[in-house]
Amino acid sequence: MKRTTLTATALILGAVPAFAATKGEVLDTYADIGHAAYEDSLITARALSGAIDALVANPTEVTLAAAREAWIAAREPYQQTEVYRFGNPIVDDWEGKVNAWPLDEGLIDYVDASYGGPTDENPFASVNVIANEQLTIAGQEVDASDITPELISDTLNEADGIETNVARGYHAIEFLLWGQDLNGTDPGAGERPHTDFVQGDDCTNGNCDRRVDYLQSATDLLLSDLEEMVAAWDEGGAAREAVMDDEDQGIIAILTGMGSLSYGEQAGERMRLGLMLNDPEEEHDCFSDNTHRSHYNDGLGVQNVYLGRYERVDGSLVEGPGVSDLVAESNAALDEEMTRKLDITMAAMTDLSDAAENGFAYDQMLEAGNEEGEALIMNAVNGLIDQTATIERIVSELELDMIEFEGSDSLDNPNAVFQ
Amino acid sequence: MKHLPLIAVLAASPAFSGVEEAANDYILPNLAKFSETARSLNELAQANCEAETLEDPFHTAFDAWMAISDIRIGPSEHAALSISFWPDKRGFTEKTLSRYIAEEDPIVADQVAFQEASIAARGFFALERMLYDPDFNDYAEGDYSCALTRALTRDLAVQAFNLQAEWADFAPTLLNPGAEGNATYLDASEAQRAIYTQLLATLEFTTATRLGRPLGEPARPRPTRAEAWRSERSLRQSLLATEAAVDLAHALANSDLPETDAALAAAREQADTITDPSFQDIEDLTKRLNLELLQQRIEAVEHAIEVEVGARFGIAPGFNSSDGD
Repeated sequence: MKRTTLTATALILGAVPAFAATKGEVLDTYADIGHAAYEDSLITARALSGAIDALVANPTEVTLAAAREAWIAAREPYQQTEVYRFGNPIVDDWEGKVNAWPLDEGLIDYVDASYGGPTDENPFASVNVIANEQLTIAGQEVDASDITPELISDTLNEADGIETNVARGYHAIEFLLWGQDLNGTDPGAGERPHTDFVQGDDCTNGNCDRRVDYLQSATDLLLSDLEEMVAAWDEGGAAREAVMDDEDQGIIAILTGMGSLSYGEQAGERMRLGLMLNDPEEEHDCFSDNTHRSHYNDGLGVQNVYLGRYERVDGSLVEGPGVSDLVAESNAALDEEMTRKLDITMAAMTDLSDAAENGFAYDQMLEAGNEEGEALIMNAVNGLIDQTATIERIVSELELDMIEFEGSDSLDNPNAVFQ
Repeated sequence: MKHLPLIAVLAASPAFSGVEEAANDYILPNLAKFSETARSLNELAQANCEAETLEDPFHTAFDAWMAISDIRIGPSEHAALSISFWPDKRGFTEKTLSRYIAEEDPIVADQVAFQEASIAARGFFALERMLYDPDFNDYAEGDYSCALTRALTRDLAVQAFNLQAEWADFAPTLLNPGAEGNATYLDASEAQRAIYTQLLATLEFTTATRLGRPLGEPARPRPTRAEAWRSERSLRQSLLATEAAVDLAHALANSDLPETDAALAAAREQADTITDPSFQDIEDLTKRLNLELLQQRIEAVEHAIEVEVGARFGIAPGFNSSDGD
């Protein structure tokens, strides 16, 4: 969007230097992409909300399928924003409201007997608010006779401070649209019938009125949460300002987001750990079987911010000077290494996603002893780990690694930490 | 790195980097020790599987593991997860072991198949359930659970042996940064950073997770989220991890670290005030305060290492495996 155009004079003189991208320009692009991706998330979430209203007005297999499709479409841009989380408290503190995972879904609605009941960690794992108008949470009586956005956000979500009491966000909506995936490591997603939303005698599994209230309330919350983040990345918004405030810190935030998402979160917590647990519940989008797209789009988000290029859901491009330009100026070979490694990861993510789209479900890949599935997942994991090593090299190359030390109380005055 | 004068390049050569000391004097010998203690635990378990008789060798092997448990580079990146899967936020260990026992899953008779089992049902934390949880540890010779315990110790011994062997292959990569074909560590500073990142990650994990999880919110402590509370190892885990980080810092710095040593001594002193090593008494505010103070003392160890090792040698940490949520 803000790419420098060569002046005619520069062309005539033949003095065409490599673009000297400034840190400020790179940060502009980064914030513009963030704004566009959150806005795309909001646009597609509004479409989801419309599809859910249509489902509620007339619950059929067709309207349920359309709502599911709208949910999957809404995940595409959102997952590309995850690279904005780590290293940016404004995003990270908010993120739990929209994308918390994993969840003990028995808090929300009915579950299969195999789910079990309360656990050591979560006494409310099977509270089932849709079926119960009166609840007791951590010794407090809760009136849940009306399911409202406020009940979900203020009382149910993270009830009793327990992380897996996820009552809002994409995954709560996903559970309500698909239901539990009871196929284990066999193919297939959740199979909730459309009749779960039918009012009156044909309602299945009980409390269809409350289920609909829950679904629409959770969707309303998602919209207001996304509106908040779009505003935060707009001109003058808090997230944009935080990144612009100090240019070096802003670049550090970009690289921290890229590295933390690639390594600890995605390669580690989400992909390798799930594989080693062989547990289909460890799928990131377990109800819908959309995990392969989540992983793909997380990877793509990292590549977007490095290259300074994002393709919007309407096909238009947001682009400008990226971290890539900064690195290339300082060390062209290192930029080439980073670009190549991001391509390798995305090739592995594409293989994984294509395999799943062609019928080799992510659940099946997780099965103990499934070597083909393990290879698909581990290729992507290894790509992510390898690109993280290069991100570290970039931090050194741009001489950002010692900045954390400057201005640290404990280092200026070691005794400060003992007081 | 591009403008470094020649003298700095020489100073960054392996001989001065401390990586050799960290690998040869710390990591490799501790891997050998872990392997020996895991083997001995398994030999005793094959002779007598009963829970009570295995408590001492269990502690010995776990102690040995703690010296290297938080190192997540090379083969340890993968292996550490199946040796010590924790925290287990969704109760997978209990679920998986219960299922094996209810179904009398024949996997326990097949050591190779067991290596493919869910990591929730392998390693120290699965074994801890079998030895210390009253719902699991009441078994005798001939019971399925006896065979399960033996499968766990055998698998642990095999994992320890394999890890040691894999490290023998990996060590040259760490020790020869910049050598032809070494794409992992391009120069000594990268190998140094890798070690430094590990030791800081140990301390961060200890304060944020080992101590932070049970502490919970001030009004809402979570004692059953303490690490290895059933075997009353929670305090020991945190202390051993802190000591491991300090030992590794000494190896890396190859010099005296007076502030770090003083901070460690203060942490040990604070640990002496903790009366329940499994932290089950932290509902009591005075007991809780003691644990919070320990957390602060361990944070102080981290700061001291940042000053005496990081700042002094110009090493900044890279990304670590707990950087996610």
